Amino acid sequence: MAEYIIRRTFQMTIVFFLFLVFSYLLFNAIPGNAFSSLLLNPNLPPDAYQRVLEIYGLDKPLLERTQMYIVNFFKGDFGYSYKYFPKTPIELIAERLPRTLMLFSIVNIVAFYTGFFIGKVLAWRRGSKAETWITVTSVFSYTVFYPWFALMMLWVFGYKLGWLPIGKFLYPEKWYDAPFDSDVVFTSMIKFTVVVSLIQFAAYLASRGIESLSLRRNIRFVSLIAIFIGSYFYWNNGEALLQKPYASDIAYHMILPVMVVTVVAFAGTALLTRTTMMEVLKEDYILTARAKGISQKRIRDRHAARTALLPVVTSFIFTIVTIIDGSVLTEQIFSWPGMGQLLLQSVLEEDIPVAMATFSFVGVFALIAHLLADVSYSYLDPRIRIKSQG
Amino acid sequence: MEENINQDLQKELRREAIKRNWQLFKQSKLGMIGLYIVIFFLFLALLQPFLFITGIWNKGVYDPVVGYEPIKDTLLVVECPKEYPTEKYESYSDCPAKGEVNIKKLYMAPGVEVGDMYETFIQPAPPSRRHLLGTDSLGRDIFSQIMEGSQVAFILGLLSATLGVGISTILGTIAAFFGGRIDAYLMRQSDLILMLPSLPLLFIISAFAELKVWHLAVVLGVLGGLGGSVITIKSQALQVKVKPFVDSARITGGSNMKILFSHVLPNVAPLALLFMVFSVTGAIASESVLSFLGLLNIDMSWGIMIYLSQTDGFIFSGMRYWWLILPAGLAVTFLAGGFYLVGRGLDDVFNPRLRKR
Amino acid sequence: MSKDVLVVKDLNMHYETLSGDVSAVKNVSFTVKEGESFGLVGESGCGKTSVAMSLLQLQADNAKISSGSIKLDGIEMVGMSESELRKVRWDGISIVFQGAMNAWNPVVKVGEQIREAIREHYPNNTKIQNTEKIESLFKMVGLDSTIMDRFPHELSGGMKQRAVIALALSCDPKVVIADEPTTALDVVIQDQILKEIKKVQELLGLSLIYISHDIAVIAEMTDKMAVMYAGSIVEKGPTSEIFANPQHSYTKSLLASTPSVVGDKVKLNSLEGEPPSLIDQIEGCSFAPRCPNRNTTCHPELDMELVEVGPDHFVDICSASRN
Ligand SMILES: Nc1ncnc2c1ncn2[C@@H]1O[C@H](COP(=O)(O)OP(=O)(O)OP(=O)(O)O)[C@@H](O)[C@H]1O
Ligand code: SF4
Ligand SMILES: [Mg+2]
Repeated sequence: MAEYIIRRTFQMTIVFFLFLVFSYLLFNAIPGNAFSSLLLNPNLPPDAYQRVLEIYGLDKPLLERTQMYIVNFFKGDFGYSYKYFPKTPIELIAERLPRTLMLFSIVNIVAFYTGFFIGKVLAWRRGSKAETWITVTSVFSYTVFYPWFALMMLWVFGYKLGWLPIGKFLYPEKWYDAPFDSDVVFTSMIKFTVVVSLIQFAAYLASRGIESLSLRRNIRFVSLIAIFIGSYFYWNNGEALLQKPYASDIAYHMILPVMVVTVVAFAGTALLTRTTMMEVLKEDYILTARAKGISQKRIRDRHAARTALLPVVTSFIFTIVTIIDGSVLTEQIFSWPGMGQLLLQSVLEEDIPVAMATFSFVGVFALIAHLLADVSYSYLDPRIRIKSQG
Repeated sequence: MEENINQDLQKELRREAIKRNWQLFKQSKLGMIGLYIVIFFLFLALLQPFLFITGIWNKGVYDPVVGYEPIKDTLLVVECPKEYPTEKYESYSDCPAKGEVNIKKLYMAPGVEVGDMYETFIQPAPPSRRHLLGTDSLGRDIFSQIMEGSQVAFILGLLSATLGVGISTILGTIAAFFGGRIDAYLMRQSDLILMLPSLPLLFIISAFAELKVWHLAVVLGVLGGLGGSVITIKSQALQVKVKPFVDSARITGGSNMKILFSHVLPNVAPLALLFMVFSVTGAIASESVLSFLGLLNIDMSWGIMIYLSQTDGFIFSGMRYWWLILPAGLAVTFLAGGFYLVGRGLDDVFNPRLRKR
Repeated sequence: MSKDVLVVKDLNMHYETLSGDVSAVKNVSFTVKEGESFGLVGESGCGKTSVAMSLLQLQADNAKISSGSIKLDGIEMVGMSESELRKVRWDGISIVFQGAMNAWNPVVKVGEQIREAIREHYPNNTKIQNTEKIESLFKMVGLDSTIMDRFPHELSGGMKQRAVIALALSCDPKVVIADEPTTALDVVIQDQILKEIKKVQELLGLSLIYISHDIAVIAEMTDKMAVMYAGSIVEKGPTSEIFANPQHSYTKSLLASTPSVVGDKVKLNSLEGEPPSLIDQIEGCSFAPRCPNRNTTCHPELDMELVEVGPDHFVDICSASRN
């Protein structure tokens, strides 16, 4: 398996260099040469002009410029933002990235789990009325025109029912005299989430070795309760108590985007899981499992779903980029100040250094997601751990 | 001579196969629904030029972009209260009610008082016999716009899908047959395209170059054609490559090209068709998204209709202006969904493991 | 006399298909005693697997058991609820499936798949107990205990098959069904596996139901046997008795097509024709169209019935021939 991961990482590195060259050439190929024309922009302070000239080596030949760009990428040097002048693109990204990451990972995890679960149940109850209806709904939400759907949801929950905020990251009025910066609060929220998932994961790993099924289940249940109690104490003591109202404000603003993207993103997984499960259920080893007297639920979850997971994960790898696309749209529609919004705005306002930096970062992001999914795939499919394939 | 008989036989066999596949496809209920949806929109797309040519529709009124219809209406002038609920209105959104106008809106028309009847052009106008789906805020016929949008969708979807599938079929078979460096390069290239966040890329391209439908079709086609479908088609072609009939064709002295065209391509074709159908779905969605964000330089499409209804603020006016909000969104959803369902039906045909018994 | 472990009586099972009902099991009755090995032989498609599946109540979704009774240790299994059946499966009756190559879930370790079965039926065992149990099973079938931590694709066909046998024995079942356990293996391995099964069966005093289309193997493996044709049993009795004194024409044909059993160098007369379609209702003797011994004394159009012709030896003959 290590060999597979190393080879894949190596391939991805090559791909990444291709990507950098490609994105540089893309910006370079923009008609009228975006760099030079923008440098005539009168709003641009003169030292920024100098910096840009220097960093991008605009007076040098194309090949050299591309090299410079790659070197600068690894130095993290993209010059200055035209629009938010003294800020650098990296600073802007550092502020936006966590927000995107949080939204993106929550949506992904929730969508994957619900999708997989629903697909599983659909295949299991093949032919029932519920199956038909859920399938039809899934097809609808799979093909629904996303921005339109998001706006409709915004209208329903934000205006008509008024349950949830109409986009944005937080209520500015509430934060007016806040003792914290929103990023501080957000960072501690992220930390909290990461720690909780690690504990849960550790409990899962630890209980895996236990022979008795009921004991296993109980341990997992207890760990869940412990986490709940732990979080209760965490948020009601010390600094966290002060941050709580602000943290909950951010969380409140996250509900609608997460919900809407999940509704759209789960369907693909659900539909694919349904088909693969139906194939897997015809396999002989399912019959063996039944003959062994294993319970239906366990056959479904442990045998059928476990194998059906493989193609689902593969396709998930392929759709990660699509989900990134989706989150760009989401950020735009819900005014969520993340990377996607930054990218779109910088493109529209022709803030080239920021646009380039963000685009490259989204690329890195996609690359890492891709690689992670690849690695987890190789973990899931033991056959790949020894067999090597292109 | 023998060759001819052989070819006839092959044609016959192929016809048989198509017939059988059609029978199988007909069994897939969802696939048939999808096909009906696609046919319905195709009909809409073709109906509009027909209406214009035969003169049933007057271009001046019904043109989706520059048409205009003044529709007059008399409204009762009222003053909306500051607090709700009142006897007449339950909440803020109930005033002005149907057939009424808030006096505040009429500050441009002096001398109007509460209780007067006020004659005005109403745009957007609700559906009527003349305008089946009403008009938009510029007095243009929505139904005609929907038809125009479906022309755009078909042109874009089919063009980009054909281009994309053409490219990926050629590259995939090349990768399978020549292997080595060409293969390695093509695979890395596919990885790259797979990794590219396509929407941001399209943002960049369309923000700096004014894209028209044709340009977009080419861009989407090329991007789709270089991406993951190359990998899948390659693996399919690899399976065909090791089949005995390819070997025997080679032994009997068939040229590489001939083998490619008479043996490999027909076997890769079903998969390519599948890809094509699914990529139409993607192309339609991409166009709508870009238009929706105002990044495309085209006159009319479903995405633009949604874009306009959003920028004019109608989308948050709820169902009162439903004809501005629902038709375009549903059209995108249904046509994309229709193609998707057709793809699913084809999948059932080509993937026998999914059949019921 | 050892006691009857499995008693099957007048079992009828059919598959509902689009083109009509396929009667795969017709009026099948047999008894398996403790420690006895029972053979079921017949051509491909005659319904052997269908019988085996009915015994475990694992028949396909479109299959219906229309009548009959299956008693394991005196307990009726037809009509049991799913949760009762789960207890009987593997603990009471276990099975080595035809095509055991695919019996393993490719993404779960072999040891874990066996452990899972034990865990289901002996929930209070500790991990060490289970590991020891699997080790002893592996030893019994001639496998190394390290195989436990391997994935199915890392084993050879023969190893997988041995592991399947270990799996079938893992919960100390009363009856083990082996449905053509050696198809898809090469001849040498086939022989080894057969010996292994025989050895284990004698060692543990198991009741074994051995299913095969190869009558030679049945001769080697079993004490008692039944010959199936087109869904029904046409002859059954002690294996030695049937081989020495076959009564039904079909049995005779089967024996004649198997050189090693008969011994002399007779010309192999393989059977002509195809077995009848199980969709049609067959009146009288189903073998008549292919029967080489058909003569004036027999009346294939009449009702058939199993008649005892020797000690514990039954043959399906027409009512006219009965006296
Ligand atoms: N799920 C099913 N639906 C319909 N018919 C079936 C089904 N399963 C089996 N049959 C039919 O039932 C008959 C008996 O099948 P069975 O598998 O029991 O035969 P078998 O004796 O085990 O044959 P083999 O030696 O090839 O394994 C066959 O004619 C088969 O076509
Ligand atoms: S009854 Fe007659 S036809 Fe049937 S098997 Fe016996 S001898 Fe042959
Ligand atoms: Mg069988």
